[in-house]
Amino acid sequence: MTETARLLADDPIWLVLIKVVGTFAFLVLMTLLTIWAERRVIGRMQHRPGPNRAGPFGILQSLADGLKLAFKEDIRPVLADKWIYILAPVISATPALVAFSVMPIAPRVTLFGEETALQLVELPVGLLVVLAAAAIGVYGIVLAGWSSGSPYPLLGSLRSAAQVISYEIAMGLSFVAVIMYSGTLSTAGIVEAQEGGWFFALLPFSFAVYVIAMVGETNRAPFDLPEAESELVGGFHTEYSSLKFALFFLAEYINMVTVSALATTLFLGGWHAPWPLSLIGDGVLNTGWWPALWFLLKTIGFLFLFVWLRATLPRLRYDQFMNLGWKVLIPLSLVWICAVTVIRGLRNAEAVSAQQFLLIGGGAIAVLLVAAFLIPDRPPQEPEEPQAPLSGGGYPVPPLDLQVPQTPRRRTPVSSGASVAEHPQTRSPEGDEGGNSSTKEAPDGSV
Amino acid sequence: MGVTTQTGAVILAQQSIAPPPIHYSAIAPVLIVLGAACLAVLVEAFVPRRLRWSVQVGLSLCTLVAAGAWLVVYARGEPMGLTTLADTLAIDTPTLFLWGTLLVLGLASILLIADRSVEPGGAFVAESSAAPSPSPRAASGGSTGGTATSIAPAPTPAPARATASVAEMRTEVFPLGLFSLGGMMVFCAANDLLTMFIALEALSLPLYVMCGLARRRRLLSQEAAVKYFLLGAFASAFFLYGLALLYGYAGSVELSAIADATAGSLRSDTLLFAGLGLLVVGLLFKGSVGPFHMWTPDVYHGAPTAVTGFMAACTKVAAFGAILRVLHVAFEASSWEWHWVLWTVAVVSMVIGAVLGLTQSDIKRMVAYSSIAHAGFLLIGAITLTDEGLSATLFYLLAYGVTTIAVFGVISLVRTSEGEATHLSAWSGLAKRSPLIAWVFTFLLLALAGIPLTSGFMGKFVVFSAALTAGMAPLVVIALVASAVAAFFYLRVIVLMHFNEPAPDGPTVSVPGAFTTAAITLGVVVTLLLGVLPTPVLDWASVGGFVS
Amino acid sequence: MLDPYIPLVLMFALALGFAVFSVAIAPLVGPRRYNKAKFDAYECGIEPSPQPTVGGGRMPVAYYLTAMLFILFDIEMVFLYPYAVSADSLGMFGVAAVVLFIATFGFADLYVWYRGGFEWN
Repeated sequence: MTETARLLADDPIWLVLIKVVGTFAFLVLMTLLTIWAERRVIGRMQHRPGPNRAGPFGILQSLADGLKLAFKEDIRPVLADKWIYILAPVISATPALVAFSVMPIAPRVTLFGEETALQLVELPVGLLVVLAAAAIGVYGIVLAGWSSGSPYPLLGSLRSAAQVISYEIAMGLSFVAVIMYSGTLSTAGIVEAQEGGWFFALLPFSFAVYVIAMVGETNRAPFDLPEAESELVGGFHTEYSSLKFALFFLAEYINMVTVSALATTLFLGGWHAPWPLSLIGDGVLNTGWWPALWFLLKTIGFLFLFVWLRATLPRLRYDQFMNLGWKVLIPLSLVWICAVTVIRGLRNAEAVSAQQFLLIGGGAIAVLLVAAFLIPDRPPQEPEEPQAPLSGGGYPVPPLDLQVPQTPRRRTPVSSGASVAEHPQTRSPEGDEGGNSSTKEAPDGSV
Repeated sequence: MGVTTQTGAVILAQQSIAPPPIHYSAIAPVLIVLGAACLAVLVEAFVPRRLRWSVQVGLSLCTLVAAGAWLVVYARGEPMGLTTLADTLAIDTPTLFLWGTLLVLGLASILLIADRSVEPGGAFVAESSAAPSPSPRAASGGSTGGTATSIAPAPTPAPARATASVAEMRTEVFPLGLFSLGGMMVFCAANDLLTMFIALEALSLPLYVMCGLARRRRLLSQEAAVKYFLLGAFASAFFLYGLALLYGYAGSVELSAIADATAGSLRSDTLLFAGLGLLVVGLLFKGSVGPFHMWTPDVYHGAPTAVTGFMAACTKVAAFGAILRVLHVAFEASSWEWHWVLWTVAVVSMVIGAVLGLTQSDIKRMVAYSSIAHAGFLLIGAITLTDEGLSATLFYLLAYGVTTIAVFGVISLVRTSEGEATHLSAWSGLAKRSPLIAWVFTFLLLALAGIPLTSGFMGKFVVFSAALTAGMAPLVVIALVASAVAAFFYLRVIVLMHFNEPAPDGPTVSVPGAFTTAAITLGVVVTLLLGVLPTPVLDWASVGGFVS
Repeated sequence: MLDPYIPLVLMFALALGFAVFSVAIAPLVGPRRYNKAKFDAYECGIEPSPQPTVGGGRMPVAYYLTAMLFILFDIEMVFLYPYAVSADSLGMFGVAAVVLFIATFGFADLYVWYRGGFEWN
C-alpha cells in the first residue's frame, strides 16, 4: 500500500466529491485552454496572430466556440442507426474523463484543512485503468462511424480504430519496462520509484516509443489520418453536429491531456521537481503544492510538443503510418523488453544456477530474433510469390456463383477442375461486359 | 479490497517464487514437435517458395522420427509414471503409448499430405485465396486456369495454363499439422482440465484451417471448414462450461482433486453431473461419437483426403486418450451414477454408424460413418474402467488409426480428371483395372469390418472381452450386431470392386508416389502385423495405468 | 474508510451524466429548420451512393487482420504485465520463460510480416 493510498483512504466523502468536481473542471478548463493555446501557438509559428478578439489575447475564443456549438442544430441523418448514433459520443467522452482520475498530481497537500494527496484515485492497477479507458474510447470511434450510415465516416472510423489499436500495442509495450523497474502498476508507486532517477533517462527507448505512440493514439498530427480533410472530409464525426460533435472534440483534447500527464507520470518523474531545483532546501520544492506546479509544467510541455508537431510535420500516408507502428515500434519494443528483462535478471541473480542452459537458449533465440528483425524487408514482390490480397478491399472468398467447369478430356489434370479461380471481379468493377453482373459485389472499399 | 490486493503484491515482491520442477526428458517429444512447428513457421517466412515444400517435408518427417526415437529411448528406460510442469502433465504408460500411436499416425499422415505426384502440385491449394482484384499475380496463380475459362469469355492465355500445371501447393499445412499434433499429444497427457482445454484448442484450430485447404472442390472444402469450426466452437464451449461447473464442484481443475472430491463428499451432485455431462459432450464431439457426430460425414467428405485421414486417425486417438484419462482418473468413483449414460451413447453411436453407413453412396462419407461406429466400440472399451479395458482401447486406437489412414491413402488414388472419384459407383470393377489397389483396399476394409487375421479383429476381440469381464454383456451383444451390420457395407464395396463390370468412363488409378506408397504400405503392414502378432503391442499397452 | 474505487465510480457517474446531458440537451437548445438535404449522408455527389455500410455492409478485410493482430498482441501484453510486476521474485526462470514467450510470438510476427500481412496500401 503506497503512502498515497493511505492518505486517500482517510478522505472524507465531501473532499472526494470536491476532488471529483475539481478534476472534471480541470479537464474541461485544460481543453478550452489547450484549444486556444494551440491556435495561438500555431498562429505564431505561421506568422499570423491567431484568435485575438474574444477576451484578452483571445483567451475566451474556445469558450465562445463551445457555446456556439451548443446552439447549433442537432442533425441526425435518416440512415443513421438512431441509438448507437446517439450513444457513440457518450462512449467516447466518458472514459476520456475517467482516465485522468489516476494521475498523481501532488503527493501530500492540505486541502480545506484535510491532509490528502492531489489525486482522485490511487489503485494498485492504476495503469490498467488508463489502458482500459483508452480501449473503451475506441468503441466510440467505431460506433460513431458505423452508425452514421455514410461512407466517409465509416472509412474514417475504420482507419481511426485501426490506428488507435495499432498504437495502443506499442504504447502498452512501452509500459512493460517501466513496470518492471517500478515493480507496481500503481501510478503513485511509479512516480515514487523515480525518486532516484527519472525513467526517460533509464529507459530511453521506452520513452521514445511512448511519445510516438501517444501521438498516434490520440490521432494527432502527423498521424491524423482519420481526419484527413482532403480525403475523408472530417473522419468518423463527419455526420455529427452540435453538442455531440463537441463531445468528440472534448474527448480528443482530454485524451491529449491524459496521455501527456501519463508521459509525465511514467517517464518524467511525475511531480518530482527537476534536477537543480530538487536540491534547493533539501527538497522543499517537492512538498506542499509545488509538485502540482512541476506536474502541470511537464504536462503542458508535452501539450506544446503536440502543437509543435502539428505545425511542423506533414501528415503521413496510411501505409507509412501502419508500417511505423507494426514494423518498427512493436518489433523493436519486443526486442527492447527482452533486453531489459535479461539484463535485469542477470543483475539480480546472485548465482546463475541450473537455469543457465534455459537462459542461454532464450538468449540465443533473442539474438536470432534481433537478427531476423534486422534483415531488411523483402523487395516489394517476389514475382512468384502469390500473396493473399489482404488489403486493397479484396475479400478472399470463393465466388458465390461458382460454376462447375466443363469436364475436359481425361488426363489433362490440374488446370481443369480446380475451383477457386479468378473472381469475376478480376476485371474492373464497372466492366461487366461478360454478362455476369449478378456476381458483382459492392465496389471495392479500398482505403 | 484494493488494500488487501496491494499488501499481497508487496509480500509477493519480497519472496522469490521457486520455479516448478520440469522433467525435460519426459516431455521432450512434445517439445520437439512444438519446437519444430515454430521452426516450420519461420521456414514459411524465410525460405524461398521453390524450396519450401522440400524443407517442410524434411523438417516434419525428421521431427516425427526424432520425437519417436526419443520416446522409444525414454520408454525403454522403464520410466515410472510421473507428473510434471506443476502437475499439469502426466507422463505415464498410457501417455507414452498414445504418444507413440500419435507419432506413427502423424508420420503416415504427413506422408499422405506431402504427396505431390497423385495430384500434380499436391492436394492443397496453391493460393490461400483467389486474388479478387486485378493483379499480375492472379493470372499466374495456381489453379485458376479452368474456372477462369468458364467465367471469362476469353480463353485463358497459354502461359497461365503452363504455370497452372506446375503451381505448387502452399506448405502452411505442415506447421499446422505439427501444431495440431503437438496439441493432441498434450491433450492426452493433460492432468488438469484447463491444460486439457488449451490443448483442445491447440489441436482443433489448425484442423479447422487444414480442412479448408483442398485444391479441388473448394466450396465443399470451405464449407467443411466452416462447419467444423462452428460446431467445434460449440463443443469447446460445452467443454469449458463443464470445466467451470466441475471447478465449482471440486474447487480445483486437477483431475486428481476432482477424484478426491467425488469420493465420498456431501457436495452438490448437480454440479458434478452437469459438469461431467458437458465436459464429456465436448470430448465425445472431438471423438466423433454419435449422437455428437453431425459434423463428421460432411467434414470428412469436404476436407482434403490426406487431412481427413489425419483427422480420422489422430484426432480420434487424442480424444479417446483424453476420455480414458478423464473417466479413469477423475470419475471412477462416481461411475455408478453415470455409466448408463455412456452405455446409451455407445449404443447410439454404433447404431448410427452402422445403419446410416449402409445408406451412403459416397466412399468418404461411408468411411465417416464407419468411424462413428468404431467410436462406439472404442467407447465400450473406455467405460469398462478396468486396466484390461484401458489397454484394449489403446490397442484398438492404434489398430483403427493405422488402418484408416491407409484407407484414405487408397481413396486418394482413385481419380477421374475432376479429382478423386469418391462416388461408390465409380469404384465398380476396380479389381479389373487395378487389381493390386483393389486387393489392398479389400484387405483394409476387412480390417475395418473386423475379420480375423487383421488388426481390426484383434482390436474388437480385446475390447469386447474386456467388456465381458467387466460385466457389460448386453453392450457386447449390441456391438456384435452392429459390427455385423457394418460389415455389410464394407462387403458391398468389396463386391462392387471385384464382381462388377467397370464403368466405361470410370476412374483411373493413379500410380502413387513414394510418399503415398510408403503411407499405404505402412498401414497395410501394421494392420497385418497387429492382426497376426498383436502380443508385443498388447503387452506394451497393458503395462500400468494412469498416474495423476 | 472508503473503498478506493468509490472516487472512480463517482467520476464515472459525473462524466456519464455530463455526456448524457449534453447529448440530451442538444436537440432542445438548437434551432430546427427542416431541409431534406440535411438528413442525407454527407457526400460530394448530387445523389448519395447507395448505402452498403450500415448493417450487413462489408468492410475491407485488412481491418479484420489488423483487429486480429491487435488481439494477439494485446493478449501478449496481458501476460507481460503481471510478469513485469513480479519480475524480481521470479528470478532467472521467469526471465527465460518470458523471453521464450516473446520469441514464440516473434516467430508468428515474422511469418505475418514476411508473408505480406503488414502491407497496407
